[in-house]
Amino acid sequence: MLSTKERLNAEVTVRTKALVSAKPILSKRRVDSLLTVAVTAIIAVTALFLLFPVVVTVLMAFDARDYIGPFPPTELSTRWFGKLLEDTYIWAGFKTSLLLAAATTAAAAAIGALAALAISWMSPRWRDFVTTMFLSPLVLPGVIIGFGLLMFFAAFNQVPVFLKLFAGHLIITLPFTIRMTLVGLAGISQTLREAALSLGANERQVFFTITLPLAKNGIAAGAIFAFATSMDDVAVSLFMSDFQTYTLPLALTTLIKSSFDLTIAAAAVALMGLTIVLLIVLDRVLGLERAMGHGTNRIR
Amino acid sequence: MKSARYKLLLLLPAVAVFVLFLVFPILIVLNESFHTFEPGRIGSVEGGPLTLANYAELFQPVYGQYFAQTYVLAICSSAVSIVFAFPIAYCIARAEFAWMQKASISAIVGLMFLSSLVRVYALELTFGSTGVLAPLMSIMDINTNSRLYINFVILAGLLQYCIPMSILILIGAIKNLNPRLTEAALSLGAPALAAHLTVTIPLSIRGIVSAFLVSMTLGVSAFVIPLILGRGRILFISNLIYSRFSEIANYPSGAAISIVMMVLALLLILVMSRLATSLERA
Amino acid sequence: MNVLELKDVTKKYGSFTAVENVSLELEPGKVLSLLGPSGCGKTTTLRIIAGFAVPDGGTVQIAGEDVGQLKPYERNVGLLFQDYALFPHMTVAQNVAYGMRYRGAPAAAIPSRIKQMLSLVQLGGMEARYPNQLSGGQQQRVALARALATDPKVVLLDEPLSALDAKLRLELRIELKEILRSVGATTIVVTHDQEEALSLGDEVVIMHAGGIVQRGAPTQIYQSPANKFVAEFVGRSNWFQVIRSGQSVAGFTSYITSDGVEIRAKSPPSGYNGGSDLCVRPEHIELIDSAAPEALRGAEHNSMTGVVLDVASLGPDVHVVVELPGKARVLAIRKNAGRIQGLAPGQCVRAVFSAADVLVF
Repeated sequence: MLSTKERLNAEVTVRTKALVSAKPILSKRRVDSLLTVAVTAIIAVTALFLLFPVVVTVLMAFDARDYIGPFPPTELSTRWFGKLLEDTYIWAGFKTSLLLAAATTAAAAAIGALAALAISWMSPRWRDFVTTMFLSPLVLPGVIIGFGLLMFFAAFNQVPVFLKLFAGHLIITLPFTIRMTLVGLAGISQTLREAALSLGANERQVFFTITLPLAKNGIAAGAIFAFATSMDDVAVSLFMSDFQTYTLPLALTTLIKSSFDLTIAAAAVALMGLTIVLLIVLDRVLGLERAMGHGTNRIR
Repeated sequence: MKSARYKLLLLLPAVAVFVLFLVFPILIVLNESFHTFEPGRIGSVEGGPLTLANYAELFQPVYGQYFAQTYVLAICSSAVSIVFAFPIAYCIARAEFAWMQKASISAIVGLMFLSSLVRVYALELTFGSTGVLAPLMSIMDINTNSRLYINFVILAGLLQYCIPMSILILIGAIKNLNPRLTEAALSLGAPALAAHLTVTIPLSIRGIVSAFLVSMTLGVSAFVIPLILGRGRILFISNLIYSRFSEIANYPSGAAISIVMMVLALLLILVMSRLATSLERA
Repeated sequence: MNVLELKDVTKKYGSFTAVENVSLELEPGKVLSLLGPSGCGKTTTLRIIAGFAVPDGGTVQIAGEDVGQLKPYERNVGLLFQDYALFPHMTVAQNVAYGMRYRGAPAAAIPSRIKQMLSLVQLGGMEARYPNQLSGGQQQRVALARALATDPKVVLLDEPLSALDAKLRLELRIELKEILRSVGATTIVVTHDQEEALSLGDEVVIMHAGGIVQRGAPTQIYQSPANKFVAEFVGRSNWFQVIRSGQSVAGFTSYITSDGVEIRAKSPPSGYNGGSDLCVRPEHIELIDSAAPEALRGAEHNSMTGVVLDVASLGPDVHVVVELPGKARVLAIRKNAGRIQGLAPGQCVRAVFSAADVLVF
């Protein structure tokens, strides 16, 4: 405690020393307004950079011309969408992709949900370690996973291509379902479970009446991430497929490299539609912000 | 305890998938990388002598180039992403109206979820040698077939991923930051720029490092972007591994490159997380 | 001259008017409390003075200079945030030095000034600590030192004690008052806590729905509230709804309440059109034995029998709830002096209060 005298001393010095000099303040303000201009410019340039290619693609998909002409198209038509519907190469890839994504999503959601449940019951130290292990495929380059799986399957005779693709997609989607289920489970407070137990439910009943219904949204969000990842993969699938069984992204890769046909633009617009549908579903089941808070931050 | 063991059984399917489809394959890659390649043969000879030749080979300048190519572009894209993403993330995180925040985040998440093929194709259609911007490029006397230009297009491809990703990560970091801290700096006489440099940025350093790390990881393992936008003239390490497999079937060499790439990726994570911790303490 | 002068300040957020036509002036060295419930506009007023919100109308003057359009860093206002907003990555000394650095203090003067400020808030020797190594009370004192270090023209305190626990609050309240007085800081305290407002402020301004309702010394605010809102917001009170007023005798009028109770109070000013509400502070109600003679009955007193419903002993005070005829319930607060310790629920008592203590709205 300071004595009154010491405090009075402090008081005197505080009052006598006016530290604030009345310097011109214009420069500070000028820097400030420059910053505002710079930030506005950054936002504008970035928005243009991110959105312009998408806009170009959408407009070109409706181009009525036979060739890729100057932008923007002079006339619009839906002819490329008509061609897309007749393109057997793309359709075959789409069917495989859809089937594969559905199978992968179902398996990854089930396996991931079970694993996440087991993880959530562990002690914190084990939980962190096991989670890190299971999330590791996210930081491994897809090419390495694909290459490794290729040599792994070479050890067996004649594994069906679809099965190989399924294995590859399972390993890259499982981290998403595990993580999102963990997110869903983390939102359930321990007191809810304790409340149910104190009301007479046994452990199994608590699981089916409290835990599972509340974790449902996390599992669903994980499934959506898994589906989107499976529908989008190139690096792993490339090693697993052959000329008969291939996925949509592989078909598109080949087409983009070999042709200048705007059918691809039409396919791209169709995929954008699919993306929007997935996003709306994701927003419904978990909320975009909450989902992305955990979906993007792939490495901690 | 009986129930504890029963609960661990739930982990079994996931463990099986990981061991079968991740651990085994990587061990096989590791094993393969120490074997000798015989031209004309797919895969190495079983039981042959072990060798380090596949690794030694990587020290040749030709290979160094691929690694340099990959890492330089990945670092560039990560750095540019942070510079562009931070102010945007700040504006979104501190948006005055909730609907503005929701709309911006939805748009960015939409871009993230967009198929990578769609994005790459959109870039090719826009910036490619026959793309819609080609006439503009020729007016500005930019050669769309030069190596430098292709590098720029690949960089643009990486940025299409890294900027939205970084924005989302940084929004999270900035939202965790007490807005009163920046206000305190302003009320103490610091102009906005100084307030951000001394308070906002140092306190979101963990988010910045995290965004940089994610961008780097995406960049160094990029496959489709250089595959298409590189037009076969610029290859990343991932593409090199694939061509070892598809073109000359030199599995041992591809395996060695894979192992090196993997070690580098893990090193990067280790270094960056150490960096984040030490920066936060300082 | 006034250090701070707000004239007809108005601020709107979309269709919501946060502050409307607020005028305030503050003399040097005075402490003014802005008190009101959340959403009353007090925080917006604070942010306008600090420069974080630009008013839509009216003027803000600090030391005679119009600062309405100046950025926060262009006005010398010291701000103590509710959660202190100490920079967690800087030491105590760096926190205190921050404002001096940007307000252009000579570098040579800074170290000695840090020392001064820290000894002023009794934190000498804590220079190298980080905020997370300090207790809540210490953090608050660092924040105060940081705000005062640039010798601001006006100091703004935003709910300064709300983050502290009850015991520490009293201690720091006294200390805060002492420090503010010793440096002669012209201060505005913004708070929703009446105890904080009444104890810290030389004067109190009550805000409600974006405007100022009453300004006065703390005792004045409590004893003669300007309207029903102030009476209800500051302190505890018992309310009676009047359905009609009866005859007036010697400056006192009888009112019949909705509970059917007759209460005498000061006669309303002329032009009063048959009143609405009566208010009695709980400490003005005396409880005596119901068997006692009605000595106090008269035009200037109210006296009625009732039944004790609840007795709660809260340390120095005892809160007694009494049910009067017609189911009206009143709270009486007595000092815990042992005199009424015999009170128990179910007991019959006589509630007595002076007609002069009844507020009419």
